[in-house]
Amino acid sequence: INLFWCGQDMLRWIAKRKPYPHQKRLIQYAYSADSFQSKKHEFEKLKQGKRKEASAPTKGRLTNMKHIIPIASGKGGVGKSTTAVNIALSLAAQNLTVGLMDADVHGPSIPTVMNLKGKKAIVENQKIQPLMNFGIKCMSTGFLVDEDKAMIWRGPMVIGAIRQILTSVEWGELDYLIIDLPPGTGDASLTLAQEVEIDGVVIVSTPQDLALADVSRGVQMFNTVNVPILGVVENMSYHICENCGNHSHIFGDSGAENMAKNMNLQFLGKIPLHQNIRETTDKGQPIVVSQPKSQFTQAYNSIAMNIIKYCTNK
Amino acid sequence: MKAIKRKILIVSGKGGVGKSTMSSQLAMGIAHFGSKVGVLDVDICGPSLPKLFNCEDYQIVSQEWGWIPAISNGVSVMSVAFMLPNRDSPVIWRGPRKTNIIIRFLKDTYWGKLDYLLIDTPPGTSDEHLSTISSLKNVKVDGAVIVTTPQELALDTIRREITFCQKMNVTILGIVENMSGYVCPCCDEISDIFSTGGAEELANEFDIPFLGKVPLDPSVVQLCDTGKTIWETENQYSDSIKNIIDNIEIEINKIQ
Repeated sequence: INLFWCGQDMLRWIAKRKPYPHQKRLIQYAYSADSFQSKKHEFEKLKQGKRKEASAPTKGRLTNMKHIIPIASGKGGVGKSTTAVNIALSLAAQNLTVGLMDADVHGPSIPTVMNLKGKKAIVENQKIQPLMNFGIKCMSTGFLVDEDKAMIWRGPMVIGAIRQILTSVEWGELDYLIIDLPPGTGDASLTLAQEVEIDGVVIVSTPQDLALADVSRGVQMFNTVNVPILGVVENMSYHICENCGNHSHIFGDSGAENMAKNMNLQFLGKIPLHQNIRETTDKGQPIVVSQPKSQFTQAYNSIAMNIIKYCTNK
Repeated sequence: MKAIKRKILIVSGKGGVGKSTMSSQLAMGIAHFGSKVGVLDVDICGPSLPKLFNCEDYQIVSQEWGWIPAISNGVSVMSVAFMLPNRDSPVIWRGPRKTNIIIRFLKDTYWGKLDYLLIDTPPGTSDEHLSTISSLKNVKVDGAVIVTTPQELALDTIRREITFCQKMNVTILGIVENMSGYVCPCCDEISDIFSTGGAEELANEFDIPFLGKVPLDPSVVQLCDTGKTIWETENQYSDSIKNIIDNIEIEINKIQ
């Protein structure tokens, strides 16, 4: 029997019947595919012929943070980090205490966008001190590891890093914690979804079909782990030509808006594609801070207001 | 695996730079010029290749000599998406399970004789990359092509990607600068939406070949969304892809 592909019931049936040593190892291996450690006690009890109902993991409530808002996307490169930083800064402009957490362990973007490239975090009183800029506190693995070190980490290490950033950082009292998630449905997103009480996820997407397919997978994942979805942001919605002001829909037209309607999700707003946003992000002077009167800042502000409305109405 | 002449990894430091699009365009280009090519989609959480090749509804056929890949536009395609019950199912797997499916893909897929196998990886340096490279250890990967957009945010992650390739003993064939420049269709003004030239400078800094620039072309986005091929018309975009294919060929020949 290929034990790896057996369902849980089959494995229990085999375990109950006093398996041979080599079979025991195979069952352990099959269980390891879904966190063996947490099921180890269950397996041990099964060996003695007793049944134990697996209990759902309890989500922790981080008491020093009023609202936790992850920024997710199914696909990479849709502008999560840029959006996350600008939303965090928009919220801060409303006189709220905001923290920004970079959960993208493999490719941390926050140091560059927040103009904190090359800075390292210090530890005081056994807690990691978050770095501050533009009035918000932020933390990223980019502050803990050298710039050119490749983060060749497997799942468990990523999970450990996420937990550390959540609990061992001296965030203090926060009104909002904005979490910049890595793309997809990987270990980081899953860990956060399962272990932390989340107010709602903001999903960022570009209008093109290729991005939307991944988005709907992301939405389904969050539904499966019972995480509410705050809404959808359509980024790189259309390009505004500097010269003639023409709006061209490079990545398609309103794809994300339509998808949000079809999936019955709140649509939070469109953000256009413009050189200014990219230039300011690259320089570490996010547009909300460096060009507060621009139409792009207004777009981010209206999204921030929608988030505040959602959280206060909960 | 031995019947495949050249195995190339398509990697990037950052997501959304156009790896999958680049993999599919390079593959279709290589097929257009007469070679046999296959693509393997190792991006388990976000498999994009079936959509790019318009074969999302393909069901894997298992024969005695292995799993048979889908064929579209002259390219053999294999992806985990073919194993999902429906196209919107999320793949919520933790590391070890992902590793296992990749090993199975590499071992059990029956590619037949191929001149090129392009392996489309997820962004960054995670489980999937480690598993792919370690399971291909016996059958050496010929090299990796790094795709990036010109912006600073993407270039930062390239340094990590280069370190990763060096640590894993994977030859870097070169860097491709994607989404480099956009021409406004009504006034022909060139906007450097994602900036330009940065990747070439980085390539010189690290002494890595620069394979070419690819512009941002909305018609390509449309074609990709519907899984059609760009090779029906000659334009700036297809020229730049051809240029990159030629350069890759040159680099591989240099190594051998």
